Amino acid sequence: MTHDWLWLIPALPLLGSLLCALQHAQVLRGRATNPDLQPGVGAGATAIAAMAAAFGLCLRGFGDIVGETELLQSSSWAWIPGGGGLDIQVAMVLDRLSGAMALVVTGVGLLIHVYAAGYMRGDAGYAKFFAFLNLFVTMMLVLILSGNMVGTFVGWEGVGLCSYLLIGFWYDRDGGNPGHAAQKAFVVNRIGDACFLLGMFLLFTTFGTLDYANLIEGIRAAAMGGENAGTLTLAALLLFGGACGKSAQFPLFTWLPDAMAGPTPVSALIHAATMVTSGIYLVIRLNPLFAASEVALFLVAAIGAATALIAGSSALRQRDLKGILAYSTVSQLGYMFLALGSGAWVAALFHVITHAFFKALLFLGAGSVIHGMHEEKDVHKMGGLRRHMPRTFITFTCGAAALSGLPLLSGFFSKDEILAHTFAVGGAWWLLWGVGLFTAALTAYYSWRMVALVFFGEERFDVATVHPHESPPIMTVPLMVLAALSLVGGIIGLPAVFHVPHLLGEWLDPVVRTGNEILEHRSGGHLPHLSHTMEWILLGLGSAIALGCAHLGFHRNKNGLAAEVAFETDHPKLHGALSDAWGIDRAYYAGVVTPVRFLAALVAVFIDAFCIDGAINAMADAAKRAGTRLKAFADGQVASYGLWMGGGAAVIALLWALGGN
Amino acid sequence: MVDLLFYVAALVAVLTAVGVVLARNPVVSVVSLLSCFGSLAVIYLLAGFQFLAAIQILVYGGAIMVLFLFVVMLLNLGGLNPEDEDRDDPLFHDRRRSAGGLAVAVALGSASLIGILRGARHLAEPTNGLVPPEEGFDALPALAEAMFTRYSLPFEAASVLLLATTVGVMVLAKRQRSIPPAGEERS
Amino acid sequence: MSVPTEHLLALAAILFAIGVAGFFTRRNLIVVLMSIELMLNAANLTFVAGSRLHSSTGAVQVDGPIFVIFIIAVAAVEAAVGLALVIALYRQKQTVSLDAFARLED
Repeated sequence: MTHDWLWLIPALPLLGSLLCALQHAQVLRGRATNPDLQPGVGAGATAIAAMAAAFGLCLRGFGDIVGETELLQSSSWAWIPGGGGLDIQVAMVLDRLSGAMALVVTGVGLLIHVYAAGYMRGDAGYAKFFAFLNLFVTMMLVLILSGNMVGTFVGWEGVGLCSYLLIGFWYDRDGGNPGHAAQKAFVVNRIGDACFLLGMFLLFTTFGTLDYANLIEGIRAAAMGGENAGTLTLAALLLFGGACGKSAQFPLFTWLPDAMAGPTPVSALIHAATMVTSGIYLVIRLNPLFAASEVALFLVAAIGAATALIAGSSALRQRDLKGILAYSTVSQLGYMFLALGSGAWVAALFHVITHAFFKALLFLGAGSVIHGMHEEKDVHKMGGLRRHMPRTFITFTCGAAALSGLPLLSGFFSKDEILAHTFAVGGAWWLLWGVGLFTAALTAYYSWRMVALVFFGEERFDVATVHPHESPPIMTVPLMVLAALSLVGGIIGLPAVFHVPHLLGEWLDPVVRTGNEILEHRSGGHLPHLSHTMEWILLGLGSAIALGCAHLGFHRNKNGLAAEVAFETDHPKLHGALSDAWGIDRAYYAGVVTPVRFLAALVAVFIDAFCIDGAINAMADAAKRAGTRLKAFADGQVASYGLWMGGGAAVIALLWALGGN
Repeated sequence: MVDLLFYVAALVAVLTAVGVVLARNPVVSVVSLLSCFGSLAVIYLLAGFQFLAAIQILVYGGAIMVLFLFVVMLLNLGGLNPEDEDRDDPLFHDRRRSAGGLAVAVALGSASLIGILRGARHLAEPTNGLVPPEEGFDALPALAEAMFTRYSLPFEAASVLLLATTVGVMVLAKRQRSIPPAGEERS
Repeated sequence: MSVPTEHLLALAAILFAIGVAGFFTRRNLIVVLMSIELMLNAANLTFVAGSRLHSSTGAVQVDGPIFVIFIIAVAAVEAAVGLALVIALYRQKQTVSLDAFARLED
């Protein structure tokens, strides 16, 4: 049975996007006569309606697959029909993985749209913003729901485009910095996308199909039979390279902190909750491929752990509120890859979901703070805001608590599950577990440092000119919903020691079964498992570290900047390295960007201006000189033209008359 | 006798054709051309094509040449154009170009003549060596049948061409009213 | 008439050459147009000669005369359009000299 209404899920936001674009076109036309014309709220309402409809459809589909049905599939559209060779049929598939992801994307997306309707009020590009935002959701849903890697790639590129458009939304502000950040995001993502394409080609040449269901069958057969081990590893690594770009993993993470130049709802939706998790989605989708290769698994885990550590430590010393959250996001994405590299597919998706809740909440809260502070982003110039914006304060604190993994909140369970899994794998993974645990400590510290600096202590801003104010309900209501989800979201994945079912684990079982079977096959029949005692110990350790570091982060900073200044003067080098994200971006500039720019300048001056332009100018000069001589022929006299024509005819006639027989 | 008539008509045709080209007065040219066409009509008649001779007189002589004459009179070109008087020769192109034109004409003409003379021995003698006009083979019924059966498509094309020409000439003539002639003040 | 066909063709060639000479040497647009008419008539004469060569009393070769008729029609069209252009040009420059129309931008 086919469910063609699944096509509606991405089609509705697309329709919303088109309607918003039309409204923007109308605004632009109106502005030709009235330059101060403000766009109406129609675009926001349209976009929200489209999101709500898509969310409703996702809920309906989700309800359908709760029962016996494992997946819903639409009829496929023969995009590239072919006989035996390349045959690409795109279908929308709602299975348990894509269903969960689509629900998060549309659900959190809906809340962010509502928030953005308030946040972007009064912006000249209001309608354009919602056109882009809805287009992004469309592309994200195509990415998730496609039953075919090519469809996923279309969405993959589409979200990249929307990310570019939205990061650079305010391209004319801050001396063009957002535009530059957008270009950087786009260019860095190209590296990952090229890897994705290569991986896709490799899979196609190996298995002759790009349909997920057939692909997984093929991989399973190859892995169980021990064939094509090298190819599988290479394909896994190439696809992981693609994931690294999109999900901001070391060494391609540098674009994400810069991407904060975009409007805050964009940071929340694209650069925290949805787009950056598409790399994790891809790995879970192709979990048998990764499960088949020990090397790929270890590399995924190691890169994840390294990213978590680098970004987590960098977040300690950021002064830009959104910068802290950006590095935190990179760090949490690293966690998710650590989970994937440990074979903990469920834990990774669990963390994707909880992270979507609390990081979207934190970004939206940060947007509310920045809005209330008249676009001030430096946490050193905030302080004491809990009295001015109580609702933002409470919800933001909930998000920070969930992020830092305080016991029983959503982030606690998902992070603990990842660490427990990593620990259980053993061997080299113990080292990665140590890194993860240390990063958890860093996370708790910087989360509460951020809360303390923003909401506690004396007011460090100019009270005379800045009057912080609470945001309107249209912005605070989504915050409250997300805060509630951040607090209780953990119930979908309670640990085994609580003797309750792991809801998400049971839910995802059909999707990850093949990967787990391959893991089991490779390890000779037993999956990593922890005793209840060990699990209790790890839970206790995680709670203690989270609580301790949160306490430390909060109490060192709640009374002002003393601790900040002390650290800066005592360890200037360490402070410099941390606030500069270990100089990786600087190294890219020195090692890649500057040489490329130098080469480009060289090419522009020597090859383009001298060689190519010179050659073309020489040709033009030659043509001009020839034309000067030849123009005597074109004197405009009919008789002259006729003479040439008649002379030619005469020659031919004479040849004919005199030649031959 | 009939053959002699042909050579006389041929001589008249050549002389009047030279007159067309050499006459300084366009009216003389027109009248010369008219005579030339008339002698050609005589030749058609001698060759046995009575119908062609008739339309040569009617269409060429009656319509086309009158049109030429009408234009010459309309533009009052009977005399020399005052504007051309300061040129070396108001009627002909400069000497070099005229020489070139004459050379081309002589080359083309001599090439044709040489070709004709060289090919003449291959030509069969006309089977109808002597065809009196009264028994001519310009059989109108056969001509008409061919025109409306085998050549009906060219015939229709010719009628479309005539229609298009009528419209085109009207447009050309009408445009003069909307665009004032150069040199005149716009009123 | 027992004139050989090549004499008819020779007459046509001479008339054509005279037409060509007029076309290239004259400045007066109207005379140039008349030269073209002369060349067309020379062509007609060759058709007549050919048709006469291939006809007999019983079997008429009609292709030649039909071509002549079409050529006369086309010549009429050409003369009409050409003279209309002459009038249009004359209204602009008050002359029919070809030298006056050597430039497109005028």
